[in-house]
Amino acid sequence: MDYKSKNLVAERKRRKKLGDRLLNLRALVPRITNMKKETIIEDAINYIQELQENVKFLTGKLQLLEVEPFSEEEANPKREETNTVEDMKKCGIQENVEVSYMSGNKVQIKIIFEKKRGKFTKLLEAITSHGFQLSDTSMTSSKGATLVSFFAEVTYDGTLAVEETRKSLLQIVRSM
Amino acid sequence: MEINHSKMYEEPGCFDPNNFTAEGAGSGFPQAVQKQFEENMDLSVDELSYHHHTHQEDAAVSAMELELQKHLAFKVENCDNNTHMLQQVVDDPNQLLSYDHANWNTGDIGFNQDDPEQNGHRSFNINSLPQTPDLLNLFHLPSSSLLPNSSISFANSNHDTTSLGFIKDLPASHSTSVLYDPLFHLNLPPQSPLFSELFQSIPQGYSLPTSRGGASSLFGDERDSSGVTAYQDGDGGMLEFTRDMACIVRRSETGKKKKPFTTERQRREQWNDKFEALRNMVPSPTKSDRASIVGDAIEYIKELLRTVNEIKLLAERKRCVRERSKRHKTEDDAGEDVKNCNIWPLGDPEQSYIGSLRSSWLQRKSKDTEVDVRIIDDEVTIKLFQRKKIDCLLFVSKVLEELKLDLHHVAGGQIGDYYSFLFNTKICEGSSLYAGAIANKVIEVMDREYAAVPPTISY
Repeated sequence: MDYKSKNLVAERKRRKKLGDRLLNLRALVPRITNMKKETIIEDAINYIQELQENVKFLTGKLQLLEVEPFSEEEANPKREETNTVEDMKKCGIQENVEVSYMSGNKVQIKIIFEKKRGKFTKLLEAITSHGFQLSDTSMTSSKGATLVSFFAEVTYDGTLAVEETRKSLLQIVRSM
Repeated sequence: MEINHSKMYEEPGCFDPNNFTAEGAGSGFPQAVQKQFEENMDLSVDELSYHHHTHQEDAAVSAMELELQKHLAFKVENCDNNTHMLQQVVDDPNQLLSYDHANWNTGDIGFNQDDPEQNGHRSFNINSLPQTPDLLNLFHLPSSSLLPNSSISFANSNHDTTSLGFIKDLPASHSTSVLYDPLFHLNLPPQSPLFSELFQSIPQGYSLPTSRGGASSLFGDERDSSGVTAYQDGDGGMLEFTRDMACIVRRSETGKKKKPFTTERQRREQWNDKFEALRNMVPSPTKSDRASIVGDAIEYIKELLRTVNEIKLLAERKRCVRERSKRHKTEDDAGEDVKNCNIWPLGDPEQSYIGSLRSSWLQRKSKDTEVDVRIIDDEVTIKLFQRKKIDCLLFVSKVLEELKLDLHHVAGGQIGDYYSFLFNTKICEGSSLYAGAIANKVIEVMDREYAAVPPTISY
């Protein structure tokens, strides 16, 4: 008898859950024709289709609007970039690479460079192509400078030389 | 209900009129009805005892059955002490109907014949009981007008020896009714005249209709009682079947043929199809049980509404910018154009949309990737979860460049089998990027990269 009642309770809960959710669904849909369970699903399907078409239509309109004015967009990025370099100089931040040896193959690397669009991506490209495997990465930027900090496992042969790593990374940063 | 009273009294019966007292009337039945009961019981008992029917009598019986099913109580059993047949019904455990005990005063069920008064009194409590036990009475009646063995042919049923044969594959639900022939095991002689009388209005090959307008009892047209419900004892579960059957008579009699008949199975299938359709519209469904489907639909509708608002806002802003730039061009001041346009988000009294803060949020999932994009004003926060190991950081930052998003902050790394990253970015001004576009693009790139990488051993 205990199993029966547990099952009953569970089944009742399940049905109630479905019923409640159906009511919530009905609350969202603006046009409801009937109060029956089946029709609420029908109405919801229609409403979703309507919304989807609406989104399509609006994004189309947005694309059309997008075509036109380009002039302002180009002006802005340049202004931002000149600001960053100036900021960095003001705060005395310089491009830098620090490499600290952790344990085993791991080193912690910190890189500071000037914040410019696309530099981070280039840095990542260069780092990975040189054989570094990043395990935890963090990047922040303020005052026109970007700080990238990550742990890396050095994969090239030979003993790990911290200074060598540092130098090669510095080269990378400067060439960006 | 026309009842041929004269006929009724012809039959001497084992029925003992002394058992009937006026107490039943106290339960609220009108006197006239109660009198009818007695008469009905007379006849029904007699039928059982004698198995003697004339056609006219059958008609009368059938007419009375209409009354009986609705109102009749245990009195029949109580008064039938001597009825052998009834005892057989009672005593045979396999055929005994058990029903919802909660609805009955306990002790009623046992067919006690020792206290007719008490039982008689109780029996009239049926009126105060919910509908279900009301019609259970049917099964305690020596009613020959209930379905005789295999006399009913249903389009969908097997012609088993048990009339329950077709019931087994039907789901149990509260709003269904059962047709059960309590007496079939008694091997009563087939009472076709009665039966044909009852179902005379049903066309051949009538399939089970779905009850839409509520059920009526099988034999009653004007009854507002619900369908018959029975519980079979053996498996402890309810064998129910739609009250559609109960509607047969009503339907054909009222001539309502609005909808094609949908059997319960078809109804279920249709309903499941609707759930499936709903599921297919949602972008990233996970579980496929009904409650989850509805939950996903709810979330998706909310997301669509957010997206619509977002795009409308973006379009408004765009349009405002264009109009301003047009206006300023007429003023012939190109240099100031840019600066003025930079200020417009803050203090533009014309457009109500501009003043409002743009906010949007959505999630997208693909097989190995999950993306969460939140936009507040011009700041976009992207969360990324990936299952396999590829260098997602590089690819995502490439995507962000494509979308003209300034990356301000990234944090993340590997957690177990997953990569998890958080990107804080800013939309550069004038870009009319919306959340959906970002999410879709990211997912697209991720999936492409996964496809490009051959499966490697993770280490």
